[in-house]
Amino acid sequence: MVDTGSASDFDERQFEALYHEHFGFLVAVAIQKFRVPESDAETLAHEVFLSYLKDPAHVRDLNRWLLGAICHASRYYWRVNNRLSREAAVEIERIDPSTINILESLPNQIAAREALECLSPRYQEILRLRFFEGLSVPELAARLGVKKKYAAKLLTKCLRRAETLYERKGRRRLRRR
Amino acid sequence: MSDKVVSFERAQRRPDPARVQEFAETARRLQRERQESADVVTRALRETPREEWPRLATRPELRNSGALNRLETEVSARLEKEPQEALLLSDLAASIAETLPPDSYPAVVLAQLRALAWKDRAQALAYIGRYPEALEALDRAESRLSFGSLTHDRAIVRYVRALTLQKVNRFEDSRELLAECSQVFRDHGDDRRYLYCGIGEALLLDRTERYRDAYNTLIPLLDVARTSGDVESEARIQSNLAHAAVYLGELNAANVHLSEAIARFVDLGKRLEAIRTELAGGRLLLARGQLRLGIQRLYEARRSFLMHGMVEEAGLSGLEIVEALLQSGARDDAARLAEEILGELRHIAFNDRALSALAYLSDAAQASQASVETVRHVRGYIDSLRDDPTCEFVAL
Repeated sequence: MVDTGSASDFDERQFEALYHEHFGFLVAVAIQKFRVPESDAETLAHEVFLSYLKDPAHVRDLNRWLLGAICHASRYYWRVNNRLSREAAVEIERIDPSTINILESLPNQIAAREALECLSPRYQEILRLRFFEGLSVPELAARLGVKKKYAAKLLTKCLRRAETLYERKGRRRLRRR
Repeated sequence: MSDKVVSFERAQRRPDPARVQEFAETARRLQRERQESADVVTRALRETPREEWPRLATRPELRNSGALNRLETEVSARLEKEPQEALLLSDLAASIAETLPPDSYPAVVLAQLRALAWKDRAQALAYIGRYPEALEALDRAESRLSFGSLTHDRAIVRYVRALTLQKVNRFEDSRELLAECSQVFRDHGDDRRYLYCGIGEALLLDRTERYRDAYNTLIPLLDVARTSGDVESEARIQSNLAHAAVYLGELNAANVHLSEAIARFVDLGKRLEAIRTELAGGRLLLARGQLRLGIQRLYEARRSFLMHGMVEEAGLSGLEIVEALLQSGARDDAARLAEEILGELRHIAFNDRALSALAYLSDAAQASQASVETVRHVRGYIDSLRDDPTCEFVAL
């Protein structure tokens, strides 16, 4: 991790390292949490970096500062562009306590979602019904037109497959590092 | 579902090299300007008569972000003691910031420089009571911040607006702004400004005589201040808690908070601030009719002033004690103290006219003829000498 105590000690390489280290994360937050279009998300992230430079010595927790800045920048983006539905606007204005630890959880979330993407459409549908729509196992069985016991078995199978893919993603990630 | 999914590779995306270069170059440049400008600004201000400060706006060595940063510091340092000078300097900063060429810095950075210069001007105007102009300057500041990434800067400007609105009794507007700013600072991990917002809200509640609410607002902030190691904010919170507690009639709690505030200022090495807090606490207790506790606090403040060789301040705070002693019927103590103060101030060759007035008070006290009005008359006269040193003392 780049030393973020004070910019006064940075050399040129450190500035660049700082940008590289956090850029992907900031863009991912803008796109994932706030649904900002990709190219605009990159511009927002760049502006966040530039705005940090005004008073870097007073930023005590750089990760938190950058996260706060990109979240507020994304909200502002939608306020100015006024393109969100009312419900979505309420959702992005809501203070989400889970975002405080997003730096730790985001890579896992991203890996998990990608793992889900690799599942067959049927498996994706089963997991969506169970975990996104909140159907119980009997309801799931009724929706799929199968017996309750078989629905439970299917669900276990889907989860095991997703878990295998998730672990593979993690291993690949570690190898990349 | 897939439209909501961002692929893992995207989180590992590579930034545009041109943008990385712009960031690194700007960072390097701002850092260099900060380092180079501190002395340049200080020297320019020292060598230029105050009335010619506006002309400094054309000096090339002052037309950069580092000089503007330094001017911001100079304005802050003068707000309390020299608000007129602070105003002049903030004018200079706004003038420099507004005339920087549009391509001199990335647009986001330029917007910050301009907005914060206007914010400083607003603060200086508010300090001298020119509130409508201060609010106009804040409008200008906010109008410069048209980037989404500048929410933190916008909150800094709005925090100043919230405090200014309190001065013109727009309490509800102020409360809303403070709540908004507080959230922004919290989201950015800016604990210090988050605490300022809390203190600002307590001040507002205090002004509207909601002392219990003010007290309850401040209590949880103490933990935040301690956790983040912000001793100065902790001291200010304790001082405000003491103020609220006095109005709630909870004198034991007030004493504890006051002592804590003083201890924190002493920890910070801000001894003068500690004495001022003691003095303010004493005055507050007296104003609430708590003569014994108030006198005790004022004696402490006076002793501290003397310990630090601040004889004039010790004398003036001593006069407040004389007044309180007379109020409580302790005439002998009052006479003794008046004589003591006269002796101390004679020793440092205090202003002759002031000494005559003090001698008059001391004589009256010895003869048991001094009253609270006599002390107030002498204190008023000594105060007036600051504006008119030739003013003659007239006995009551």
